[in-house]
Amino acid sequence: MQTYLKSLSEKLFNELKGNEELSIGLHSEESEFVRFNHSLVRQNTHVHQHEATFQFQNDGRTYAKTATLTLDPETDLALGRDTITEMRAVLPLIDPSPKYTPMVNNGTSEVFQKSERPPVEKVINHITDVFSKSDLAGFYCAGPLRQASLNSKGQSHYFENDSFFFDYSVYDGPRAAKGYYADSQWDEARFDKQASQAKNTLSLLAKPQIKVKPGAYRTYLAPMAVAEIAEIFNWRAVSRSQYEQGFTPLKKLFTREQLFSPHFSLIENNSLGLNSHFNTIGEISPSVLPIIENGEMKNFLINSATAKEYNLVSNNADAGMWSSEVMRSMEIRAGTLADEQILKELGTGLYLTNLHYINWSDPQAARLTGMTRFACFWVENGEIAGPIQDLRFDDSLYNIFGTELAALTKDRSRFTNTLTYQKRRLGGMMVPGALLNKMNFTL
Amino acid sequence: MQAQTKNETPSLKAENLAQFLQTEFKKYRSAADFVSFKMIREKTRDYSVRNGKAEDLTEFVDLGLMIEVMVSGHIGYGATCELTADGIKRAFERALNMTRTSASRAVYKFDKNIRPAVQGTYSTSRKVRLDKLSLTEIFDYLKKTSLGLKTNDKIISAVSDAMLIECTQNYFSSEGTEIFQEFDIIVNSMSATASDGKESQTRSLHGGRGNCIQGGAEYFQLDNALRECETISREALELLTAENCPSETCDLILAPDQMLLQIHESIGHPLELDRILGDERNFAGWSFVQPADFGHLQYGSPIMNVVFDPAGANQLASYNFDDVGNKADKKYLIKSGKLEAALGSLESQTRSKISGVANARSSSWNRAPIDRMANINLEGGDLSLDQMIAKVERGVIMYSNRSWSIDDYRRKFQFGCEYGKLIENGKVTKTLKNPNYRGVTVPFWNALSGLTTTDTIESYGSPYCGKGEPSQVIRVGHASPYALFKNIEVFGGG
Ligand SMILES: [Zn+2]
Repeated sequence: MQTYLKSLSEKLFNELKGNEELSIGLHSEESEFVRFNHSLVRQNTHVHQHEATFQFQNDGRTYAKTATLTLDPETDLALGRDTITEMRAVLPLIDPSPKYTPMVNNGTSEVFQKSERPPVEKVINHITDVFSKSDLAGFYCAGPLRQASLNSKGQSHYFENDSFFFDYSVYDGPRAAKGYYADSQWDEARFDKQASQAKNTLSLLAKPQIKVKPGAYRTYLAPMAVAEIAEIFNWRAVSRSQYEQGFTPLKKLFTREQLFSPHFSLIENNSLGLNSHFNTIGEISPSVLPIIENGEMKNFLINSATAKEYNLVSNNADAGMWSSEVMRSMEIRAGTLADEQILKELGTGLYLTNLHYINWSDPQAARLTGMTRFACFWVENGEIAGPIQDLRFDDSLYNIFGTELAALTKDRSRFTNTLTYQKRRLGGMMVPGALLNKMNFTL
Repeated sequence: MQAQTKNETPSLKAENLAQFLQTEFKKYRSAADFVSFKMIREKTRDYSVRNGKAEDLTEFVDLGLMIEVMVSGHIGYGATCELTADGIKRAFERALNMTRTSASRAVYKFDKNIRPAVQGTYSTSRKVRLDKLSLTEIFDYLKKTSLGLKTNDKIISAVSDAMLIECTQNYFSSEGTEIFQEFDIIVNSMSATASDGKESQTRSLHGGRGNCIQGGAEYFQLDNALRECETISREALELLTAENCPSETCDLILAPDQMLLQIHESIGHPLELDRILGDERNFAGWSFVQPADFGHLQYGSPIMNVVFDPAGANQLASYNFDDVGNKADKKYLIKSGKLEAALGSLESQTRSKISGVANARSSSWNRAPIDRMANINLEGGDLSLDQMIAKVERGVIMYSNRSWSIDDYRRKFQFGCEYGKLIENGKVTKTLKNPNYRGVTVPFWNALSGLTTTDTIESYGSPYCGKGEPSQVIRVGHASPYALFKNIEVFGGG
């Protein structure tokens, strides 16, 4: 793929005239998707998908067109040429962009990562065997994913990651426990150990269900629940362009009217190996960028377009939907709470392993709402009393990661992005569990 | 309207490709118990203008092939954009190998009835095809409307955006199915964010991307749009000084552009049969609805009638056939408040023996079809909006969705809107900011106590309903009148 793209790009860069600039971004994947229900296969899909994004610039104007590639050299070259001709014709019809930045050469690099794993047929057999006596629903996803960014100034970055994950849950009627397996190399013993852990958690849920009334409770959020909450930072909160446009949940933090807990630090950590080392336009991401440090706001994410428009300095952030900058490799710093101390330190309250469907309920107050999901327990005097009926929370980030944050765990979990809308994604996060003095539940 | 410069690569031209695929299909049609090819080409132009200036101008031409193979009653999928003889061979072989293994461990063994033999076509009802709309025309429209929203210095962000989608699908199968469907889709959003330094509030055209239809270039009427801009911007400014919605239990009137979300989350998703069958438990979730509830559960009050209607002219999710060739017809899901049928495709109907609809749908060529909503509509009642308001002693009207959250069984929800109005003694008295409400699905729908008449029904939708492993988005349409609910918990921000 790398050679194919290089040869195609060179031919297309030769088509340019005068001051025209062209960049070519690649997304390519060969993916195995297997979806399980009742510990059997519901659907299996194999996908070969390759897309090139051609960004064409001249005279302060910019236009981008993405198209699927056939990998037939003649067809793709003709497609590329036609695309240039078409964009050359439309560019004079539009106005110059206030966010226009000329293309530069951000260097040349390549990174290859590979997680060894058995062929998918073997994986299917193993999963269905290991869980044959359980009721499992889950999703196995594997295969190479490639990203590249080349431009007519000579830039050429290439990243390839051949990886896998198995995201699943096991059920006893309505009771459920969550499991997740990803590794640098498929290890059957490790896979089986995690499978037993999920089955064990499920057995803990066998106790009678406890109905907890709405109210404020001392709460422990396991890493997966913290990860769900942390996702909200990527919902326009840490984006400078969104802040400038009036979406401002972190305004008080930024202006220092209100702080988070001194134990709380949020970092964009590109050294975790969860994503490519360059952004969509091929700028090299800083290896570590503090966003919130010891409770204080240090940086918004700023991409070059936002920097240009508001006269700021870019930190080579990447833009997601609606030009909103997003974290690609989120880290929340660890605390000191040892895993074996969690129940004791929680004492009496809620132990939540997972949360679901989180959304801003009042963005200006940094207030968010969401539901408990999967294995969640009521704990009394450090002992699990029983599973709870699902509860809705509605609380502010200033409480959750601020005044009510009692402790963060010493051990953290790594999660790779499992979303596959339209195409597979890179990225992920590494977060600890969090103990809160209280969390507000409304329904 | 001037035509776009057409500069299509010869081997990618629609008629050449269709012919190529027919030839290729013949090589494989007998290579499994059932084989189908579906080619999807979708061109999306997404243009956005902020404060009168070009924000993003992007285009995406997505073109690929989905191959279905059936082995021993199990269907597997292979998808590729490598539209060459070699590419198709690779995709077919990979699909067949995976499917052979999976077939020995399959959830259910189907027969070929789940892929009916049909021939037919569909095309969006429109006057002027979207490909006749030039970049200059649309850019000009967006610039003028964006500036139309920026009526005041306090409007710090005035965004006008149009997503224009032209989609064609060719589907043929070893059972003799031949279907051609084409869609022209418009998602047009406009929003104004007002700020006075302390408060910041956004008002939009029917919420984020709620304003979406199937239709042609005739949709873009600048005079109408400029009138909408004026209202949006006035209401955004009004919210800066408005009171917070009170926290209390009172009557609630939802406008059609919030009903869209209420229907979607608390009727559409829980009635999806693949959720009820547990396929989605690990991702989107399960459902509080049990198989035994069909024909029995009093889902809502007797004035509640909900239909699956794939024939709504210009509604976002209209079609003649779903993605496995099942002919789509209108069907009552809930009649006089009682649950009657599920949103279940032929596969789910076979597995569950529950009555369903033609709703096996994929987001594109690279995803397998799953049970989906399409147009899910609430029928009208007998009140005018004024009569409805007059019936309320104390209550709130809420417009345009801005926040949504519901549990994985689709029971406990909390939704927020952009703009509210307080009703006191049968009269609208003041504007409210940050209006929110929460409830539990079945009691909430049983608290439905009034609907406005059929002529007040408005249709909206969403281009981004998410579900599935691998994840997929799908387009859905929801039409509704204004609806009155008794004794609902409402609250404000802060
Ligand atoms: Zn949805």
